[in-house]
Amino acid sequence: MIRPAEPGSPAPLGRVVATELKPATPHQFHFWTANETTIGIGAIVKVEGPGVGDQGPGRVVYGVVTDGFAYSDLATPLHDVVAAEGDPARAAESPSVRQEIRLWTAAVLRQQPEEPLQPVPLGAVYVASDADVAQALRMDAYVTGAQPSGIPVGLYTAAGLEAPVYLDADFLLGPEAAHLNISGVSGLATKTSAVEFLLASIFEHFPAHKGRVAALCFNVKGPDLCFLDRPGALDDADRRRYERLGITPQPFERVRYYAPFKADGVNLNTLRTHPDLVGDVEPLVWGLSEVLDFAEVLLNRDDIDAKADAFIDFLSDRVLNKEFDDGFGGSHRVQTFADLNGLFRAIFDGLELSGRSDMWRTHHIATIRKVRNRLSNISTRCKGLVTDDGPSSDLPWGRFEDRTVYVVDVANVDPLGQDLVFARAVSKLREHLERRDLGVEAVVVFVDELNKYAPGDGPETYVRKMLLDISERGRYLGLVLFAAEQFRSQVHRRVVGNAGTTLFGRMDADELATPGYHVLSPAVKIKLATLPIGELMVRHPHFTQPIFVRFPRPAVLRGRDGVERFPPAADLPFEEAVVRQLARLDRRIRPNQVKDLIAERRPDDVRRALAAVRRTRPDDALAYFRRMLGARVAPATAPAREAVPPLNPISEEPY
Amino acid sequence: MPRSWVDAILAAGAVPASYVPDASAGRTDLEEFTGADGVEDVALRTYAVADTRPLAPGTVAFLDGIEQWRVVGYGGVTPIVRGYVAAAVRRRGPDRRLRTAAEASREVAITRLESLAEPLRRALAASGVDLLELAEEDVGQPGRAIQAARRELERARLAQERELGERCLAALGPDEWLVVDGVLSDSAALSAHPRALGVIKSHGAQYFEGPELERALTLPAGHRTSVFQPKRRGARRAIYSWYLRLWPWEGNDLLYGLVRVEAHADAVTVARASALSAWLLRERSPLSTPDARWDRLLYAIHDVETYLRSRTPRDVIAPPGSRLPRTGS
Ligand SMILES: Nc1ncnc2c1ncn2[C@@H]1O[C@H](COP(=O)(O)OP(=O)(O)O)[C@@H](O)[C@H]1O
Ligand SMILES: [Mg+2]
Repeated sequence: MIRPAEPGSPAPLGRVVATELKPATPHQFHFWTANETTIGIGAIVKVEGPGVGDQGPGRVVYGVVTDGFAYSDLATPLHDVVAAEGDPARAAESPSVRQEIRLWTAAVLRQQPEEPLQPVPLGAVYVASDADVAQALRMDAYVTGAQPSGIPVGLYTAAGLEAPVYLDADFLLGPEAAHLNISGVSGLATKTSAVEFLLASIFEHFPAHKGRVAALCFNVKGPDLCFLDRPGALDDADRRRYERLGITPQPFERVRYYAPFKADGVNLNTLRTHPDLVGDVEPLVWGLSEVLDFAEVLLNRDDIDAKADAFIDFLSDRVLNKEFDDGFGGSHRVQTFADLNGLFRAIFDGLELSGRSDMWRTHHIATIRKVRNRLSNISTRCKGLVTDDGPSSDLPWGRFEDRTVYVVDVANVDPLGQDLVFARAVSKLREHLERRDLGVEAVVVFVDELNKYAPGDGPETYVRKMLLDISERGRYLGLVLFAAEQFRSQVHRRVVGNAGTTLFGRMDADELATPGYHVLSPAVKIKLATLPIGELMVRHPHFTQPIFVRFPRPAVLRGRDGVERFPPAADLPFEEAVVRQLARLDRRIRPNQVKDLIAERRPDDVRRALAAVRRTRPDDALAYFRRMLGARVAPATAPAREAVPPLNPISEEPY
Repeated sequence: MPRSWVDAILAAGAVPASYVPDASAGRTDLEEFTGADGVEDVALRTYAVADTRPLAPGTVAFLDGIEQWRVVGYGGVTPIVRGYVAAAVRRRGPDRRLRTAAEASREVAITRLESLAEPLRRALAASGVDLLELAEEDVGQPGRAIQAARRELERARLAQERELGERCLAALGPDEWLVVDGVLSDSAALSAHPRALGVIKSHGAQYFEGPELERALTLPAGHRTSVFQPKRRGARRAIYSWYLRLWPWEGNDLLYGLVRVEAHADAVTVARASALSAWLLRERSPLSTPDARWDRLLYAIHDVETYLRSRTPRDVIAPPGSRLPRTGS
């Protein structure tokens, strides 16, 4: 008989049952519900043992549903066949429906009191309320109090209830634990979106006592992160969720974009080239000294070579930016790739002239050749990132600003160049954070496609070592890695293992069959394999069990929509591109002035002058540009052809 | 919590016991050969009902009862039996699910007061438990006493079922039927109701001899006999009845899948005996396994029984423990 609930006391939705074969334990229990019930896998429930509400020490247990079972009193399937005389259609005609059960398994999230730890009492089961969810997930410890550190991650949604779920900033961004990893299939797992949303949440809820925070995001895929400052489409449900989570649904207020040039050295290598937007994309250009610092990256991509390392160290310590005697009577001051090439040539020529020796200052000629090849390789493969000649343009090390996203677009950069950008950017962050002079106290570094940069197998690379290093030590520095990948099983174990917080979107079934997921029940796996867009499973140190949440669409323009609304501009001709670059620095500049100046100049000279203006930011950009171009004028006539191209060997023999 | 009457009699000197005798005697056969009058046909015939359009009432109530008992103590050699009877009506509506509509239960002590010592008698009286007295001639030998107690309890169960069934009839809607596990003829109200059916699974009484008996007991599956009127000794009520075979008996035994149906003694009953039989044939599904009597136990009746058993107070059911002597203190 169904008794109406007394006012104020909700009716239980289930009852804990325990048998010798399926007992209740301190970590797990079973309960049954009506056949029609609002709960499902992932629902949070509360068990009240006898004595709760009365006097006496009642035990309250919170649990999350991890599995569900339905069965009837049918003794064996054969009996259903017998009763239907072998005809499935007749089975539905039985005048009575068998008794059946909805039996659920729940994993314990929390017990109160916590000591002594005992089996779950065989009590009534209730739907968890807002306050229960906070208790169950131990959020009471950090969401309220003198220095709250809750970061909203989404809404727990079940049984008609929506309760905000918070991560603990101390465990998401250090120092107690740090890093976040998100995995799931492309396009359905909402990995990129979830990170964008979470960054917005962090910027709004980062606890004041922890200081300033910024994010450095590497854009590795198409236009993914190119429009973070532009509003995207939200629906009413999204807006309601933002409100419930206490987050303002707006795009990022401060975003700085960096992109290398294309090979021509003047057009930016990014999809954010629409005339309305390209103005705030800073070029990312590095010269020899920036590259030499991270030349290891280039070497141990394929192999580890101690000799080459030693030679590179020698170049950085003894040669770069110094007056250097090559030992064959030549003196060099190496500042650019071109200068370095001159030195190499002098060494090879000198060795050849001086006889049979293969050694130059304890370095074998083969090592020298190898290093030269690698360095010239990068300057050709990453032409727009690495200037052969001339100064660099870099991220604002030491001047990072609070609540600012720095996007570095390396989507179209050669893998070698991407490695170089990661290595240098992350090392610089680390260096500055160690010295506490970055400008912010914490930086979130977002790396998508982590499986490419920190694969589980394959050779040890500099980038992987570096990612491992952040994941192991970053939390003390405020250097926090947010990483995403399709297949977690393909990422280095310690990199994912060190992520204090893990999110899962829609997962691939084959991936779920890999050993890393065997702690999940088959029901939770099925839920993950069919997870709707916008839902995530969250693991966080305070949560004893994974929790499912729903998050709103990020309030920023999706990359895909961005390139439609702001179609990338076609590459400009060299002169136009130079005009555009200069005009950005000084609005007074008129195109014809620039065009007159650069007519008949060598492009390299123009690029170098442009870089100088960019670096110096003079009051009168045009005048400075003119001065930097100097008096050197390209030869009026084209250089003489060095050789006559060979003719096709056309035989005149008339056959 | 008031002390249970069992504790009270033990305190008053009864020797504790925990004993459920083998039901070797089986269910008491209330009836023996009585004979029958033909109603539908002069001589008993068989009818195939498999192709008859079944009666399909939207709502049906099912009535069944259970009894549990055990010896809980002895005063001298006189057993004191704790008995529990319960009955329930579960209604099945258009959603085909069964829900409890009414239920009743009763706990009784069965013994012969006069054979007990004074303190025990006083303890029993003071406990307020319902007492069923055994006749003097039944208590000389403990074995007889136990069989007599068992019969008392069965009577109590039947009375409870009857009372609940009659109560249920009063509340029966105009198109609703009541199906009773067992005979209708115990109750005037049940016998006279146009939409009450009794389904009898045990065939202690025989109404036929010779070729008619053979026809009845070798009835093929999906067939029924002609409607007949059992002859009764004394002032028994008129009732119509027929046999119906639910499952093929060949390969099992003569009674396999055989039920006897009782319904109101009325021409309408004869007219729809086949439709009623076809309905009962449909009730074969779902099977009431794992009950051993599944070949003639309707699932809905089985459901009522399961419900009642699950509601039985735990301490009425005999502990399954071993009967080895207790060791230690
Ligand atoms: N919270 C959300 N609710 C509904 N749709 C979303 C939500 N977040 C993202 N989406 C949509 O899901 C799709 C995939 O998102 P994306 O972040 O690009 O996935 P991934 O990075 O895993 O490939 C996008 O079209 C996006 O608009
Ligand atoms: Mg993505």
